[in-house]
Amino acid sequence: MYEEPYRWVEAVGNRRQYLDDQFKEGTPVVGVSYESGILLITMNRGTPKLYEIYDRLALGGMGHPADLEKLRFNLLEMAHVEGFNRSASDVTGSRLVKYGIAPVIKQAFEEVFKAPFIVKILLAELGQKSGKDGFLTVNYDGTFEENSRYAVLAATSAVEEEMIGYLRQQSVVSLKDAMDVAIRTWAIGDRAQRSVQEGREDHGDAQKDPDRPVTDTATLDAHLHRCIADKTIECALLDRHAQVPSKYRVLNTDELRTMLPQDLRSSLT
Amino acid sequence: MGMQGDFYQLLKEQGYVFGVAGQAAVRSELTTATTILAFKYSGGVLVAGDRRATAGNMVMYDRTDKVLEIDRHSVMAIAGVPATAYEMARILEHSFKYYRRTQLQELSFEGKLRALSKLLKENVAAALAGTGAVAPIFAGYDAGQEAAKIYFYDILGAEFEAVEYAVSGSGSPTIRGILHYLNTWGEQPLSTVPEEQALIHALRLLTSAAEFDSATGGVNREAGLYPVVKFITTDGVKTVSDSQLRSLFETRVSRPR
Repeated sequence: MYEEPYRWVEAVGNRRQYLDDQFKEGTPVVGVSYESGILLITMNRGTPKLYEIYDRLALGGMGHPADLEKLRFNLLEMAHVEGFNRSASDVTGSRLVKYGIAPVIKQAFEEVFKAPFIVKILLAELGQKSGKDGFLTVNYDGTFEENSRYAVLAATSAVEEEMIGYLRQQSVVSLKDAMDVAIRTWAIGDRAQRSVQEGREDHGDAQKDPDRPVTDTATLDAHLHRCIADKTIECALLDRHAQVPSKYRVLNTDELRTMLPQDLRSSLT
Repeated sequence: MGMQGDFYQLLKEQGYVFGVAGQAAVRSELTTATTILAFKYSGGVLVAGDRRATAGNMVMYDRTDKVLEIDRHSVMAIAGVPATAYEMARILEHSFKYYRRTQLQELSFEGKLRALSKLLKENVAAALAGTGAVAPIFAGYDAGQEAAKIYFYDILGAEFEAVEYAVSGSGSPTIRGILHYLNTWGEQPLSTVPEEQALIHALRLLTSAAEFDSATGGVNREAGLYPVVKFITTDGVKTVSDSQLRSLFETRVSRPR
């Protein structure tokens, strides 16, 4: 029944709608580059969303955990085979995404008889020097974007734009700056996603005030207090100054306690 | 007519070939690497190696690193053919990293030992032909047992735990005796000596090996060449800097004149 082109276009359109629905309750992911590394942050209810891929590469994901696992393994296999056969410097995020997972995700998305990947991916790549870091984000249809200072994943592109809008105005130098900015960007994303959802479910209107995202610290921190109560903060670094080849490191609760904005420290258990 | 009742002869007549040899090797032209040692001291394990690589009578290289950090908690010291040894180290390094990243947990210390053992077994043909013989020492921190441990291997892949110390390479017979003496009749057992004393022992041992084995490079103070020494403790692997080795050598290792 999909032989006719317009049927196929229609099927892909349906699929897009289906996928958009799947991400509604997902948790945003934020990556921010600072002077001596990259910070990745998200919150979860038990399933981790941040992973180490290679010496200078980290992954953040949104979507179905089984799909994320499959792509994570793809990335790990490609990275390690390349790293062994050539060298660690030849393992680049750009090649892994452009020749590796993006075509696979696109193909799955367009093969309407098969299940698509319910996944959005953020790949962070630590540069040798400050200012040389990179981010790649891949959408569920295989489209990818490259950025150098920050990147986000969220349920819709509108929410992602709100988050990016906030990030664009911030200046980040130290790890402390990165932490403050990243967690508040996450709060903007999470608030926006919830307001879209509640709007639809309770009142039928899409958003209460779509043009003016709330960015004042007090409101965002209040939101974060509530989130920290029932979710776990997940935070990882690619640390340029680490003395070992593998630069990826997960921040534990004690480290988080010292790095989070002052007001939020008390909510950590 | 052959000898009757010779089972081995019988087997050979049946087409059995014992020990598959690789290509015939010209031993004298192979590059080999030489004295490595590891012993337990009060803080964990010390692993050290000289830096000379030789091919027959020729010194090929004087800056070889034979004490290789495989991951944050394990070290492989190599004696034998460097080409094979480096390849093994590379495979191990990637195997451990890949395991950690895919399984989201460290490979156990036993698992790491077994991985090296398997590689050595795969390499038996080359080892016997002489083109790829490697007899490594593997030392690391066993998180399960909360202790730093030393293992040594023969070229066929057999794995032995060293209770106090292990040595390998052409200079090892010289220092094996010294280690035994130090450990048994020295001022205190090796496993109780503090870090600096352990370092002094290691430098003196390697210098002694170089004295009697031409294939072991000792300390070349003019060229600023010192052995490679690493400590394995609960915190992981720590490399001793050349400047620390130099100052220690000048002040404590040599006998004052």
